[in-house]
Amino acid sequence: MSAVLEVEDLKVYRGKRLVLDVPSLAVEEGEVLAVIGPNGAGKSTLLEALALLTPASMTYRFGGRTVRLPDEALALRRQMAVVFQRPLLLDGTVFDNVALGLRLRRVPEAEVRQRVNTWLERFGVAHLARRHSWTLSGGEAQRVSLARALVLQPRVLFLDEPFGPLDVLTRSAILQDLRAILRSAGVTALFVTHDFTEIPPMADRVAVLMEGRIRQTGTPREVFARPADDAVRQLVRAAADLVRLLE
Amino acid sequence: MQPWKRMKWLQVVGAALLVLAMAGCGNAKPENSRVILATTTSTRDTGLLDYLIPIFEEKTGYSVDYVAVGTGQALAMGQRGEADVLLVHSPADEKKLVEDGTADSRRLVMHNDFIIVGPPDDPAGIKGSKKAAEAFQKIADAGALFISRGDESGTHKKELAIWKQIGLEPAGQTWYQETGSGMADTLNVAAEKGGYCLTDRGTYLYRKDTLGLDIMVEGDPILLNIYHVMTINPKKFDKVNAEGAKAFADFLLAEETQKLIAEYGVDKYGQPLFFADGGKTEEELMNQQ
Amino acid sequence: MQAFRLLIQGDPEILRVTLLTLRVSGTATLVSLLLGLPIGLILALTEFPGRRFLISLINTGMGLPPVVVGLWVSIFLWRYGPLGFLGLMYTPTAMIIAQAVIATPMVAGIAMAGIAQLDPKLSLQIQALGASRWQLWWLLIREARLSILAAVIGGFGAVISEVGASQMVGGNILHKTRVLTTATVMEVAKGHFDMAIALSLILMLLAYGVTLLLTLLQHRRRPS
Repeated sequence: MSAVLEVEDLKVYRGKRLVLDVPSLAVEEGEVLAVIGPNGAGKSTLLEALALLTPASMTYRFGGRTVRLPDEALALRRQMAVVFQRPLLLDGTVFDNVALGLRLRRVPEAEVRQRVNTWLERFGVAHLARRHSWTLSGGEAQRVSLARALVLQPRVLFLDEPFGPLDVLTRSAILQDLRAILRSAGVTALFVTHDFTEIPPMADRVAVLMEGRIRQTGTPREVFARPADDAVRQLVRAAADLVRLLE
Repeated sequence: MQPWKRMKWLQVVGAALLVLAMAGCGNAKPENSRVILATTTSTRDTGLLDYLIPIFEEKTGYSVDYVAVGTGQALAMGQRGEADVLLVHSPADEKKLVEDGTADSRRLVMHNDFIIVGPPDDPAGIKGSKKAAEAFQKIADAGALFISRGDESGTHKKELAIWKQIGLEPAGQTWYQETGSGMADTLNVAAEKGGYCLTDRGTYLYRKDTLGLDIMVEGDPILLNIYHVMTINPKKFDKVNAEGAKAFADFLLAEETQKLIAEYGVDKYGQPLFFADGGKTEEELMNQQ
Repeated sequence: MQAFRLLIQGDPEILRVTLLTLRVSGTATLVSLLLGLPIGLILALTEFPGRRFLISLINTGMGLPPVVVGLWVSIFLWRYGPLGFLGLMYTPTAMIIAQAVIATPMVAGIAMAGIAQLDPKLSLQIQALGASRWQLWWLLIREARLSILAAVIGGFGAVISEVGASQMVGGNILHKTRVLTTATVMEVAKGHFDMAIALSLILMLLAYGVTLLLTLLQHRRRPS
């Protein structure tokens, strides 16, 4: 396995405060890496820094090549995609929303149409193509948002708690679809969540982020079985309690 | 919705807006044909200028932009070189502009006269007074309401000169009110409040039907309202359109124009609003009365 | 009433004054849009030293009395003022300048507020979709376009009903700088109440149209 994306000495400051300090992190080709941590751990900041959406000091390697920032940021952003917690659809039809990223890249319109329709179909929202984005339900909107990201065929897909505000049924339905799609398309993804129950079905690897620092990385099984320190153990135990409660 | 097509569309609109904005500026180019006339509201409010200026423009190709303000402001515009030619009626102040070199010519164009008007019931009993000063004294004695322009216009200055004759300072008296507005506005106020007012005859005649104010005093030589045309000295103000100013002044004094002035208003009011005085001097005019 | 007859018969003088008014105020609004929109965007989307100061300037500018603008524009445009060589005093262009000065802070302020109202993550989402800086700005304008349209209409309403600055820099010159408001003031002064009423009816109609448009827009706003 080779890394699609590697960072070293990643530091993000808010004012004078160091909110994120990651000596190194890599996302391997084809894997789904889950970043998990409590609220305020810096998960979203990490995602935004890696997706080149927030200023950060770091050495950034993409596809094995060290990149000059911010000069190449736009070109790189066009090889990635991000889905946020809220769908953040723009004023327009579902079709236009999903087509937006392709049009920004000036993809020919015939190809746009074909690709958009394919992805609307895969997420089961083809029938909504002509609907206005404001008229969708939360689950529909998030499916459109996922289609909008995946239609770009990104080298890396970032997911920032994309199922947070959805109800359990909707969430598990989308989760299943997404997992199937990620697996079959072999998409490389970085997936941020505070919810352990989302990890086993989704992630190949987990990175635990607390207070702006990565405490442990490993397979989900490793992290659950051998938490690196007390803080991670507490986090894992809380989740395990929840799972046991459910069983 | 295809943003990139829209983007081009936006550029087209932007370009169109720019063209439009420039079109808005189209007639703003400084041209020699533009003459700025600063004048008093009375010449505008009587309609005389709107009658004469198109004739002048037709004849000469000049375009006259006239700004109708109080005589005080008109004279100030002359003193700053912001106007090319003045048509004003405040002889004492006008002479100062000639003396300090602001104006390089000053010629008598026409006159009408001031009259004192008031409510028909004449509470101060001034009707028929031969002298304006006498009437003003009666108004002051009776404490009857007097409405003043209070805007340093020619009319206002004339009024102050009459108060000065009887040695009275009206400002601040309870019966004395200043509007700070043009003649027609001030007449409106006088009519509404039933006060006395000094006005030029032209504006009064023009408005007579709707006002309900009567003529109380007329014919005193001090009440002459004399209009001079003054051209601003290009040696002092290099940006002045001296040729245009001279052309306009010459036009006002031309025989045909003088005839037009003398006849203006006769058809509507049965009497002229202005008396044409081209070629006369101020002294001749005063002695005529 | 005479006033209605003047309107219905389409008195050529009234028509001319109305058209000039629309041209002057319309152009001023467009100019203020071209200036105010980028200012509003930059203030809403970027951080730079002096930004707060600029915002306070904009807020002050939104409440600037037209006569103050008129006086200052006059001072600049007078023949012997700093921009006197342009020969713009007492021209429609001078009025456009004065009115644009009045409307620009308004457009900038409302555009800024409109963009600031958008979800802050939306800007990130658009960038994440691969938008360049210009594409991002264009899309944000598009998202905030109802607020921006409201700003434009509001600005137009403000300048078309403004009299102090127009009188001062335009001079109310017949066929050149006489607009609805200055003409109304003059006709009242002359005692031509019919004409004044006719002019004021047109102004009221325009003001009503503006308000109606604003209301319609607000009803079309994104349900939140």
